[in-house]
Amino acid sequence: MEMYIDPHLHAVSRTTDDYEAMRKAGVVAIIEPAFWLGQPRTEVGSFKDYFSTLVGWERFRAKQFGIVHYCTIGLNSKEANNEALAEEVMELLPLYATKEGVVAIGEIGYDDQTAAEDKYYRLQLELAKEVELPVLIHTPHRDKKKGTTRSMDVSEEHGLPPHMVIVDHNNEETVKEVLDRGYWAAFTIYPHTKMGSNRMVEIVKKYGPERIIVDSAADWGISDPLAVPKTAALMRKHGIPEEHIRMTCYQNALTAYSQSGQMDESDWLNPEPIDQRLKHAGNSVLRGGQTPRVEGPSDYVEN
Amino acid sequence: MSAHNVTEQAKDYLIELLSHQAESDSMNWLKSQCKEINNSAKAMKLFLAFGKASKYFDKSTLRLNHAQAKEAEKIRKGFTPSAWDKLQTARTVLILSFPQQDEGLWFKTMNQLFETGDMQELKSLYAALPIYPFQDKLTDRAIEGLRTNMTLVFDAVALDNPYPSEYFDERAWNQMLLKAVFMQRPLFLIQNADQRSNENLASILIDFAHEKWAAGRNVMPELWRYVAPFLDDSRLKDIEKVLNSADMLEKQAALLACHQSSFPKAKAYLSKYPAIQKDIEAGIINWESIGKSFAETLIKN
Repeated sequence: MEMYIDPHLHAVSRTTDDYEAMRKAGVVAIIEPAFWLGQPRTEVGSFKDYFSTLVGWERFRAKQFGIVHYCTIGLNSKEANNEALAEEVMELLPLYATKEGVVAIGEIGYDDQTAAEDKYYRLQLELAKEVELPVLIHTPHRDKKKGTTRSMDVSEEHGLPPHMVIVDHNNEETVKEVLDRGYWAAFTIYPHTKMGSNRMVEIVKKYGPERIIVDSAADWGISDPLAVPKTAALMRKHGIPEEHIRMTCYQNALTAYSQSGQMDESDWLNPEPIDQRLKHAGNSVLRGGQTPRVEGPSDYVEN
Repeated sequence: MSAHNVTEQAKDYLIELLSHQAESDSMNWLKSQCKEINNSAKAMKLFLAFGKASKYFDKSTLRLNHAQAKEAEKIRKGFTPSAWDKLQTARTVLILSFPQQDEGLWFKTMNQLFETGDMQELKSLYAALPIYPFQDKLTDRAIEGLRTNMTLVFDAVALDNPYPSEYFDERAWNQMLLKAVFMQRPLFLIQNADQRSNENLASILIDFAHEKWAAGRNVMPELWRYVAPFLDDSRLKDIEKVLNSADMLEKQAALLACHQSSFPKAKAYLSKYPAIQKDIEAGIINWESIGKSFAETLIKN
């Protein structure tokens, strides 16, 4: 069975049915970037609880389905515009940035490209340097081409090496510059607004697989948590070499985000035993082999 | 022993344990962080070290020999770090290094850690309850920990931990037991459970069994341990049902409950199953053996 990583998926908005379907389709790991929730938060406590959900409950929930869950921590560009709140969120970030399984600072960057967005984007680039984590850049949906260029210019101004930065939501207009400047170029396969699978196939044909990453950004909108395995299937149908599929739908994301020191293939190839206490029973079942294990029914609480 | 003494001794004991099982670089990092945390009383120092500890310590289980396990018990009755992993041990050392003179500051800092903790961090925070200062003011926190749906976190409070049996009132205690049954946790790891068994709990658990049976499901065999001291004519019918189960563990559990009961009609069942009776009397079949065997049946491939 092929293995896939979906390095951009907002699991808080997805159901357990989605998790099951992803697992069946071969998704072994996901990365959940901190983002906005469809409406702006008004209190710093909401951010605190959201971050706690990303590193706590959501990670646990994913594990129930044999999927390893990582996340990125950051203040998104939309909510950076509430400056009083943004200041408070900035104080919270160091508490979460160093936690286990946090693989980047993100998704950060521009939305309206305001002065406030610029200020907090820069502050978080500095934080990323301090905690030695990669950066996940959310490029703006409007005025994308200029916004993408600006995101990279500012990142370089702060001295971040391109290999530590993943630029997401690329399209045909932005991909060349992002790759030429040495960045990771991620593509979001999202119905109607971002990329379609067919267009993705063309991009891999044209640019090859190097530093290109496919993700779903599945969230609370009309989106598809199976976008990565489906795009891989379409690539196969179009005769894209297997190795190119593996790189764009698995390996590149792993290489980029494992620079955090918080993500390792062994996390899903040899998952930790669920209950350390039972390890001494000499039960070989606990050493996962090549198939990620699903926790037993004891981990479902029936209330 | 004063609370301060317990935390100091527990800290030294855990550092000693770790130093034989972790890299010396990691130990140097830990000791230097402890010093800084202790001298500065700055919460942020503790917060960052608490998170970063995962870079220096892995989650392999500590190895404790018999003498080391006994030593833990001497520092604090019921203190059982035998299932702890190295990372949580290091994190506990960091917490115990935070100054305790200012009670308000200590609670404020701890609450922030609890409120922002990830699953592994919460596990260390809750498992260390018995070696914190201000023991009598931690009850609400311990009860809050049991409201989780994350198994690791629930276990940290409920299993291998003397705190609940010492500080919970009957309501809280019974809720913990019932939830442990719901979650099918290894009940034999709950400390002092026999001393805290009570009529209300037996009745709640019998109701639970009836619910399960009505739904065509089984209940975990360890449940009958808490019914045993309160057997009467009506409850004996339930025991009979379990006894007639095809499942060997359920049979054993029903007979062990009869063996431990002072109700003569219950005792009478034992002679019908001489082989099991013999193993019970020899101590080969006990709640731990039943609990362990049941836990193994839960491990799914």
